[in-house]
Amino acid sequence: MSIPELVVQNWSRLLAGLAMTVELTIISLIIAGMLGLLFGLLSVSKKKSLRAIALVYVDIVRGTPLLVQAFFIYFGIPAALGIRLDANTAGIITLSLNAGGYLAEIFRGGIESINKGQMEAARSLGLPYSLAMTKVILPQAVRTMTPALINQCIITLKDTSILSIIGIQELTQTGRLIIANNYQAFEMWTIVAVMYFIIIMILTKISKRIERKMSYGKSEN
Amino acid sequence: MGKVKIKNLKKSFGELEVLKDINLEVCEREVICIIGPSGSGKSTLLRCINALEVATSGTVEVDGNDITGAADKDINKYRQNIGMVFQQFNLFPHMTVLENISFAPVTLKLKSKQEANEKALKLLRRVDLEEKANVYPEQLSGGQQQRVAIARALAMDPDVMLFDEPTSALDPEMVGEVLNVMKKLAKEGMTMIVVTHEMGFAREVADRVIFIDDGFIVEQGPPQELFGAPKNERTINFLNMVL
Ligand SMILES: Nc1ncnc2c1ncn2[C@@H]1O[C@H](COP(=O)(O)OP(=O)(O)OP(=O)(O)O)[C@@H](O)[C@H]1O
Ligand SMILES: [Mg+2]
Repeated sequence: MSIPELVVQNWSRLLAGLAMTVELTIISLIIAGMLGLLFGLLSVSKKKSLRAIALVYVDIVRGTPLLVQAFFIYFGIPAALGIRLDANTAGIITLSLNAGGYLAEIFRGGIESINKGQMEAARSLGLPYSLAMTKVILPQAVRTMTPALINQCIITLKDTSILSIIGIQELTQTGRLIIANNYQAFEMWTIVAVMYFIIIMILTKISKRIERKMSYGKSEN
Repeated sequence: MGKVKIKNLKKSFGELEVLKDINLEVCEREVICIIGPSGSGKSTLLRCINALEVATSGTVEVDGNDITGAADKDINKYRQNIGMVFQQFNLFPHMTVLENISFAPVTLKLKSKQEANEKALKLLRRVDLEEKANVYPEQLSGGQQQRVAIARALAMDPDVMLFDEPTSALDPEMVGEVLNVMKKLAKEGMTMIVVTHEMGFAREVADRVIFIDDGFIVEQGPPQELFGAPKNERTINFLNMVL
């Protein structure tokens, strides 16, 4: 069968796989965003113990392969605790923790890129640290972080394909299952690759637009 | 009456003792200018007054409140009464001029948005920048930014204003406009502590000039005395260098 014929024949399965990929990505990124913000804030804290907690988390995420993290969460933890974890839940936990670590670093970098005078100006007006952080520092930090944030979204979207290994039926796994029936590896992997490519291109385009909208100017003092 | 009372204030950064024993009382409506060589601890002293730096020992009282020993929550409260103007302006670049000024009173729920905006416009009129209310700081000149920063501090109705070399980052032609705003403020009776290299301003506006060197107040007095007949050798050397 030709590629167009294969697309038509497997369209609904491929689409379902893609939908799962997008769903995993979105849910994981939402959780990862909260983790990243939390641990990013910890990592710029004045308290050494809080910084240490963030450091350990980030180092573990960065120091181990995603695949090992997935296995640890899907097989390791349930075995140790005697519980059962379905693949989708394990996948979301893995991706959230993983992306959360990288996002924590992005948040830390973004916060640290803002001139110290901004925090001092806010505090000198009587604002507590929390308000100064949320109203003055973070809005500026997020602007500088936008490219890195979008980059992490794309990475996480691509990382979902690794979760095919624990049996989640996202796009990659769907491709494998179809090939197991029709043996048309070249055509099917082409289709799958093009589907990833298109969705990532769309994301890139949207993000470029957001980036342009968010810039209020080049200089910051 | 003593608006600001500093007793035996010491401040070290690690091994480096920057403030060695500072005693100073600033009265209501008094304008104090602090002068001294670079690195002598002028900024550190100013920053100890609103607890941006934590004193190593000694006490700082503002309006009878002990800043040095206070809990975070109380410090936030005390700081509302102590305006600060920085050398680098430090306006919030993601807010318009008007938002910069009304931001703190609104965020701290001291004023409604409308009240705060009205007050902000009044303050902008006072610093002669009414027409800039809706632009972003980066569209302003340095002198204009610093005037906005003064208005931002005034929006909290402070009892005391601290200025840390407010004109040092400005092009020479913009120094005057900022100093004029400060002069007006002094005339209106604001209690002000100004770290400055502008000796002309100190001479004209200060009630008392304080010369700091090496972490001590070496000499102080009314400007005509301190500039006209300095007694301490270090003061004389410093003044010879800058005048
Ligand atoms: N956060 C800090 N950590 C370590 N050392 C510091 C810190 N802040 C200031 N210092 C040091 O303390 C000394 C006094 O600094 P300060 O900024 O108070 O001087 P200054 O009189 O304001 O000088 P200038 O006229 O250059 O502004 C300097 O030697 C400076 O390097
Ligand atoms: Mg200084």
